[in-house]
Amino acid sequence: MLRGVGTVFEREVGQYFASPAAYLIAFALLLLTGLMFNSDLTFSVTQKAADPALIPSFLSFAMVFFAPLLTMRMLAEESREGTLELLLTAPVSDTAVVLGKFLSAWFYYSLLLLITLIYQVILAAITQPDLGHAICAYIGIWLYGGATLAVGLLFSSLTENQIVAAFLSMSALLLLWLSDLAGEIIANLDLARLIRQLSLQGHYTTSFAVGIVRAEDVAFYAGIMAVMLFITVRIVESHRWR
Amino acid sequence: MIEVHDLTKRYGSHLAVDAISFEAHPGEVVGLLGPNGAGKTTTMRILTGFMPPTGGTARIAGYDVMADSLEVRRRVGYLPERVPVYPDMTVSGYITFWAKLRGVTRPRAQVDTVLERVNLTDRRNTLIRNLSKGLRQRLGLAQALVHNPEVVILDEPTIGIDPQQVIEVRESVRELGKNHTVLFSTHILSEAEQVCDRVVIINKGRIIAQGTPQTLRAQLQPGVALYVEIGGLGKEAAARLLREIPGIESVERQGDGFAVRAGGDVRPALSDAVLHTGCRLLELRPVAMTLEDIFLDLVGREN
Repeated sequence: MLRGVGTVFEREVGQYFASPAAYLIAFALLLLTGLMFNSDLTFSVTQKAADPALIPSFLSFAMVFFAPLLTMRMLAEESREGTLELLLTAPVSDTAVVLGKFLSAWFYYSLLLLITLIYQVILAAITQPDLGHAICAYIGIWLYGGATLAVGLLFSSLTENQIVAAFLSMSALLLLWLSDLAGEIIANLDLARLIRQLSLQGHYTTSFAVGIVRAEDVAFYAGIMAVMLFITVRIVESHRWR
Repeated sequence: MIEVHDLTKRYGSHLAVDAISFEAHPGEVVGLLGPNGAGKTTTMRILTGFMPPTGGTARIAGYDVMADSLEVRRRVGYLPERVPVYPDMTVSGYITFWAKLRGVTRPRAQVDTVLERVNLTDRRNTLIRNLSKGLRQRLGLAQALVHNPEVVILDEPTIGIDPQQVIEVRESVRELGKNHTVLFSTHILSEAEQVCDRVVIINKGRIIAQGTPQTLRAQLQPGVALYVEIGGLGKEAAARLLREIPGIESVERQGDGFAVRAGGDVRPALSDAVLHTGCRLLELRPVAMTLEDIFLDLVGREN
């Protein structure tokens, strides 16, 4: 099991660093966060204190678009190129293949997240930011990102076409993201609460983003990952029955 | 090494493989021969542990493909028809990946050995996207051999490459037979005849004949076939003359001469009869039916 996960992980990470797309995604993400940080810093001089959760909160929206780009290739390409047939005849379990791929995407995302820590360093150099708050927000967005990547991987396993995979997972993530807003305008309180409980954002904005780590939110993101990966493994497995 | 018993695979209402049984012994090269859509690929996919059969059993090195799938996969090297590659990887990176995934203990040394074996050592740092079709075929072969499997399964390895490379691939398949049990599929009959120790002919998911190329030929071509050409005698008269010779069962015009089928060896009687009339015997030779004829005959009968 571990050998399979490790080998697939290693290949996928290598693939990220070998492909221009991954660098472009990193470039775009860092450019956007850099602009955000810059303007927040400008405001902080005159209007309000700098927000320690600024970058993570921005990512909570950005991942709706970036997560599908990071995962769309992973299984769609394997099934299109026919390499999936070889993977499924290698002496490793289907779970190991899916897990290896997921972990490599999460690892790459974690690296991007680490690079954005530079903004915290800059902030610490010129002011006294609330570090605890920032750490909470980063833990939150790290888990949040894992959940969005798991959704992306699921849609990559559904089709041979990367564009279709990306489009479907963006739509799904956008729905999960927007359901938080929907929850705010629904009159029936119980229904509204239920919908907000199921939204990706709902477990981030009211807790991690304001500097709180709640077990239920951690469990929510872990649960999303587990469920999405479970379904993905089943879909990969279904290639054996077609 | 490979034991297949009553193997059946059904896709919905379509019966792709219908209760086939065959065996391959260690060190044997067995050819699965059949037209496209005969069920060759499906059979191979079941044997590699890619898909489960609907019925029957298949064992590789004593392990059942369903119950001990992982053990089977450890012992099988598989080259699918369309050589699947990762275009953005280097040759050695690609082989190393499969070596590690299949649990090779010393991947680096094993990769060097296998690249040497398929003659790709000088391309080890080339990106796969830059390899020609023939080189990709060799790469695919290296991938299938890197864990030194007991059984090697090759799905139509000679499709789409140039004649020179076809000869190379056939030679390497023969070569493989020395250390591995090889199952390979083809729809080219002369290829099966050249390469295989045993041929399993399948059509529409059923085995219609199996055996060594020689026994198949002997089995399916009872009696002797001769080609005879006689000089100095009209066609009609010559045919009449041949038909009167005892032992000859049929006489057919073929080019300038006749194809003759007989129950036993009629050559002495035939030459005597011809010379007796004062004509000349221009040609007398046995005609070996190729596997091609046998195959077309069998498939034709089936259809």
